Amino acid sequence: MDGALLRLEHVTLYYHTPQGETEALRDLSFSVRKGEFVAVVGPSGCGKTTMLSLIMGLNRPSSGQVVFPQGPCPMGYMLQRDNLLEWRTLEKNAILGLEVQHKLNEKTKAKTLALLKKYGLGDFLSHHPSQLSGGMRQKAALIRTLALEPELLLLDEPFSALDYQTRLTLADEVFSIIKAEGKTALLVTHDIGEAVSMADRVLVFSDRPATLKREIVLAYPRDMTPLARRETPTFQEHFAAIWKELKQ
Amino acid sequence: MSYSKEHLAYLKAIRRHDRAVRLVQALVLFLFLGLWELGARLGWFDVFILSCPSRVLAAIGRLWGEGSLLTHVSVTLYETVMGFLLGTALGIILAVILWWLPFANEVMDPYLVVLNALPKIALGPVLIVWIGAGMGSIIVMAVLVSLVVTTVTVLSGFTAAAREKQFLMRTLGASKGQTFMKVVLPAGIPHMMSALKISVGMSWVGVIVGEYLVSKSGLGYLIVYGGQVFKLDLVMASVVILCLLAALMYGGVALLEKQFRK
Repeated sequence: MDGALLRLEHVTLYYHTPQGETEALRDLSFSVRKGEFVAVVGPSGCGKTTMLSLIMGLNRPSSGQVVFPQGPCPMGYMLQRDNLLEWRTLEKNAILGLEVQHKLNEKTKAKTLALLKKYGLGDFLSHHPSQLSGGMRQKAALIRTLALEPELLLLDEPFSALDYQTRLTLADEVFSIIKAEGKTALLVTHDIGEAVSMADRVLVFSDRPATLKREIVLAYPRDMTPLARRETPTFQEHFAAIWKELKQ
Repeated sequence: MSYSKEHLAYLKAIRRHDRAVRLVQALVLFLFLGLWELGARLGWFDVFILSCPSRVLAAIGRLWGEGSLLTHVSVTLYETVMGFLLGTALGIILAVILWWLPFANEVMDPYLVVLNALPKIALGPVLIVWIGAGMGSIIVMAVLVSLVVTTVTVLSGFTAAAREKQFLMRTLGASKGQTFMKVVLPAGIPHMMSALKISVGMSWVGVIVGEYLVSKSGLGYLIVYGGQVFKLDLVMASVVILCLLAALMYGGVALLEKQFRK
């Protein structure tokens, strides 16, 4: 496939515990193109998170391989909870990754500050996480990831800890941030609506061991925001199709 | 800022409640001391055995007059502070090492459990033989009593603290040292503070027991001596001073904790 940033080739992964071994992923093959937004949906506990840590390189597949055809690709990981450090201010939290990778300098710091300001957190730089709403915190977590200028963003159910209303608005914001910054994204979720409203392409996973059941290319007008997509009949169709697929 | 009438009434009720608690607290103490003194004066019990507030005060005055009060207090205080500082510092260092080396942690686990359960006081005679009958043994005793509990408390704080945050640090590409300095250590501060509070009390236990076993001065010495020669006034006086000192030191640690909480 041309333009692929990331490719999984026949990836199988066994999970070992003293009680026995579990097959988490079975013969997974798919790729993500540059600039694409791909969502993976599957039942809870089907091994989606495991797959992300595999891509991140924190784990090795039992067989098959994870390939980056265009060379090593800087990645950012966004977790379900924001995990902001309570003892740091918002600004200090945003530059944590830069600090860790010894990339903190005037330029990178200014860039991060600009991101915070651009996305509506400029007035809260010296606030501590406990003073911010859940949505703002998760946005700060995204900017902490973006500060490292990753090419590929791995989003691990980033909205599931939020209330419904925040989830919808934040999905909209995160979507436009990712598009505006020109990032490639791989979103993992069990929320069909989230996947169908945000992605260009949805991969439906089966229950454990996770296999790729179906791939659905979503046909929306370009740059339509998640909230607007939810209003379209296309959304309903895709939603129903995936719902059916998952119920089988 | 002006509040509504209802809110002002609410604030007033809170203040009144707090005042009531403090008043009754003072009353309890006053009543206790008053009854004790009254009972002694009216001959309800033998002052020789139970002493009484006025005699305790007189005993403290006598100690002060002889000029030995300060010596005893400073000896005990010195031993306790040393035991507390050393015990806490070593305990935290040990916790850091065990966090850093999970294998060592697993190996040490049963030993820590046993050491934690063991009444360290039982080692007193051993310490005297090894270190000698002096201040050294007393301080080591205080260290032993506070060390293990500090290690166990701080270590559990380190390992439990922020598992997901540690994962986050991995995704950011942090080294183990960075994860420790930026996440584990700051996240462990509340645990260290509670360890400090436990260990300050433990150090007093260690020092007083140490002084019971070997000492020529100190409050523990005064208590044992007073008991042996049946000067209960002296024993009670020492206990009262001990109460005040222990409360002061605990207050200091609590204040420190408040500073860190900010």
